[in-house]
Amino acid sequence: MDKDIEYRFLTHAGFRKFISCLIDGFVVYGTIKKDGFPAFGPITDSKDLVLARTPTHLSAKEFFFPQREALLEFDMASGSHSPIVESRDQVVIGAHPCDLAGLGLMDRVFSTGSTDVNYLARRERTLIIGADCMPDDYCFCESLGTETIDKGFDLFLTEIKSGLLVSIGSEKGEAILSKYTKPLPPKDVHLRESAKALEKKKRSFKARLSAPKEELPGIYAKSDAHPVWEKIGAICYGCGSCNNVCPTCYCFDVKDEVTPDLSGGERVRVWDGCTLEEFAKVAGDHNFRRSRADRLRHRFNRKFRYLSDKFNSLFCVGCGRCSRTCLVKINITEVTNELIRDARTEDEYLGVPAAARKG
Amino acid sequence: MQEQKTNISAYLPLRARVEKVSRLTDREKLFTVSVPTGLKLRYSPGQFFMAGLPGYGEAPFSITSACLSPEDTTFELGIREVGNLSAAIHRLVSGDSLWIRGPFGRGFDVSGFAGKDALFIAGGIGMVPMRSLIKTLAWQGAGNKYTVIYGAKTPEELLFRDEMEGWRDKGFDVKLTIDKPHPDWSGNVGVVTTLIPGVRLDPEKTVAIIIGPPIMYKFVIMSLKEKGLGPEAILVSLERRMKCGLGKCGHCQIHSSYVCQEGPVYKLSELKDMPEAL
Repeated sequence: MDKDIEYRFLTHAGFRKFISCLIDGFVVYGTIKKDGFPAFGPITDSKDLVLARTPTHLSAKEFFFPQREALLEFDMASGSHSPIVESRDQVVIGAHPCDLAGLGLMDRVFSTGSTDVNYLARRERTLIIGADCMPDDYCFCESLGTETIDKGFDLFLTEIKSGLLVSIGSEKGEAILSKYTKPLPPKDVHLRESAKALEKKKRSFKARLSAPKEELPGIYAKSDAHPVWEKIGAICYGCGSCNNVCPTCYCFDVKDEVTPDLSGGERVRVWDGCTLEEFAKVAGDHNFRRSRADRLRHRFNRKFRYLSDKFNSLFCVGCGRCSRTCLVKINITEVTNELIRDARTEDEYLGVPAAARKG
Repeated sequence: MQEQKTNISAYLPLRARVEKVSRLTDREKLFTVSVPTGLKLRYSPGQFFMAGLPGYGEAPFSITSACLSPEDTTFELGIREVGNLSAAIHRLVSGDSLWIRGPFGRGFDVSGFAGKDALFIAGGIGMVPMRSLIKTLAWQGAGNKYTVIYGAKTPEELLFRDEMEGWRDKGFDVKLTIDKPHPDWSGNVGVVTTLIPGVRLDPEKTVAIIIGPPIMYKFVIMSLKEKGLGPEAILVSLERRMKCGLGKCGHCQIHSSYVCQEGPVYKLSELKDMPEAL
């Protein structure tokens, strides 16, 4: 348990009441069961909320950076443009530590250099209630240090037998919790149960990276010519699913949508994906990343190397969504471990005289 | 016009006015565009504007004029008709509005040319941004040795030929080439690299600038290396797809570098660890 964080305790009934109060005051999104799987969706009844143990199919990024959003509206006759900044008071419940880590990276992207008013307006007006989780076969956040998180949320929920342990992440979070509920100070038994759950979670990871995260940018930098890119390029469908489900993929297209009567329209941005064939194509049909191998190498490097200089952080949070969703089972931990293995072999070779090598 | 932190959308374009349209070739037109009075127009050669029209979107277009005075209120874009947006821009006439954001990107550092000879190597539409640099340096008139090598597929596709006498008057040695023999052409035939061996240059004090179609760079760089030019002495301007100009949308990214911010102009030495760049 983090000693700097304050905790409260809510009974299950108290928690349900809290959710009902939030529904009365805000637009609320949270984790639901959709076709039997955990997903984010609108919560209009406290019973809709099902705190998910394993990751949702899509990350929580859509609530801050929607798949489609208007940036401007224009009038075709006068040509005038006016900005659109869509935002409303909303609550997002059930984002796991990996999602919160991803959101922290998105915050940096959209506030560094040119600030993005559209993203920041949504972020500003969103109350974030995180929730703890258990890894499935693809989760490898522990290898990247994102299995726990102590910031980036207003409140954070850990389910225990008798109720919920709530970590306070912000004054805003504490204020709203006290406004709608009568939270109790946690008992030692609650904290012990939560600590035990965390230990169990840490023991449960099946997918792991075989090198410390600090070494990954360097390993990727040595791997541009590695055969793994051709190997996975040969089976990749170029469908862009990995980009869509990723909590830190933020590339977008900007295009105009005109109303059917041609009187006006909107300039919108929509998610785009670097694994799609058109992504780096310019006029005259020249494609700067012609093959699927080129495009996959670019995507993997963006997660582990390219953005680390600029933001001093990896851009993979270990949620495993890209591997989980991939139609041909390209697996981010397996690919990275293959690079780690071969980078190390190469290092040994460089350090050891040829005569001393075996085989 | 500089990018700044603001609560106003960075996507909101500014209404600029088309002052003059002249046809350059079958496919390219030159647009003289003015910004509203009172607005300070500052740009360096090599920079670009995002220019668009409502309903057609926007795209990056290189500036082809030179910003020679702080009083300037007009600039020029040379635009090839290739898609919906550029076709719509080609239909504009003087008095029409063109919507712009920018200027964006890192252009040429003009002070870096002081005391240097320069070899300008352009292919096709690469002459559009190159002209901005040539005009800037011509205006400075420092008396250095300037050589222009410019190639296109056919004589008709060579841009700004009517201006080249003026460049020669300023002391530029202008060498032209076309890709294949043509009945109206008595000059050099072959790609631009065929003209490089014949150029006499001092590798200690020459900067070479390359702007052209993607295929051109590797071959020109090989020829320049044979001339003794190192990666510090070669400048390139790179073309990429761009949707925002703000270092966000990801389309222009080469390794860690966003071309819309850190480019489009790079020293070759900066691209050393970026095999995808060229």
